[in-house]
Amino acid sequence: MGEESKKSFLKTLREILEGFSEGRRESVIALTCKEAQELENIFSLLLLGAFVGFPAPPTFLAVELLPFMEREMRVLHYRAETSGDMLAELCGTLGID
Amino acid sequence: MKVIFYTGKGGVGKSTMAAATAFQLSKNNRVLITSLDPAHNLGDIFGVTLKDKKTKFADNLFLSEVDLQKRSREYLEREVDVLTRTYSYLHALNLTNYFNVLKYSPGIEEYALLTCIEETIRNDNDFDYLIFDTPPTGLTLRFLALPRVTITWIERLMQIRRQILDKRHTIQKVRGTLKEGEINPEIKLKYDERDDDVLNRLKALDENYQSLNRVLQGEDCSVILVFNPDLLALRESERLIEGLRDLGLPLRLLIDNKVTKENEDTAGEVEKMLVRYFGKDIPVKRVELAATIACQLGRCLYEIPEDLVSAL
Repeated sequence: MGEESKKSFLKTLREILEGFSEGRRESVIALTCKEAQELENIFSLLLLGAFVGFPAPPTFLAVELLPFMEREMRVLHYRAETSGDMLAELCGTLGID
Repeated sequence: MKVIFYTGKGGVGKSTMAAATAFQLSKNNRVLITSLDPAHNLGDIFGVTLKDKKTKFADNLFLSEVDLQKRSREYLEREVDVLTRTYSYLHALNLTNYFNVLKYSPGIEEYALLTCIEETIRNDNDFDYLIFDTPPTGLTLRFLALPRVTITWIERLMQIRRQILDKRHTIQKVRGTLKEGEINPEIKLKYDERDDDVLNRLKALDENYQSLNRVLQGEDCSVILVFNPDLLALRESERLIEGLRDLGLPLRLLIDNKVTKENEDTAGEVEKMLVRYFGKDIPVKRVELAATIACQLGRCLYEIPEDLVSAL
């Protein structure tokens, strides 16, 4: 085996191992990611729920925090878009086939 | 510094009693009297025109009427300004004008009222007495409840926020820091409590409201209930006593205003019923109706012969 192909083989091997490790790590934190996103969703729903008819906190609290809530609003929007298939999403997260 | 709130049903004479107390107190103390009622008549009582800022009436007596609309407008303008700066890219599309709709948010006036009380307590601490003449019962109870309601909300929101940051922290630890060139929106998020703008804002608000609540429920704060010897005033006063009890605010004096020879018996009964309803010992002051005061030249509305300060 030439020097070049040895290098290329090792590189591929490292990539495979790194990919494997990353995959493992991703699967470990997938649930945590989901939880974090759901919490962000709850946070924004509590704060901005008045827009969809929920009982609202004192209005000024929402107004005070609004400038920093861009991501939360995006999550809220995403949840609204995907809420049609929430069961499937939940099954996917929990690893139920 | 002592803080006194005058409360009661509309038209019972809160402003007059507050003005008379302020006048009597100002003989030996530095006093600031602030009207929070949107329908102001503090200026009428003292015969001066008042604006949103403090006006000196006598050496030791300062007056002010809060312009609620102006305060709400200022507050919202500040918020819209922060919002516009945060989303500055919207300038390019000329879309920032849409934030102006926030000016019409409901519930902002109570907040403006509360902010006003908070600012007065914080900034005017060189006075011996701060007297607040409040709007009629409903609104007063709503805005006095605001610190507690707000604190409950803030605490809940802070709890969720901390959980979010905690989860983000875990995610960041497992995924590791990204190498240059790699773009992952998750990693850019704040996970440390000190960096999170939302949590920091919540903490600042919490601190403000906790300190206001401490002042309102403390030894140096008094709520004074003004009523008239009639059934409606009695019923509304009972509701107010109940509301104050729920909020943990210290009611320290009852003033029975507009008592005449004809309604003396009713006055006695109403007083007894209110003291019984309150459940503890509380001083009651009786103020006679001065029906001809407006016609008597040289006498002012705030000059009341009854001593209103000894019970404070």
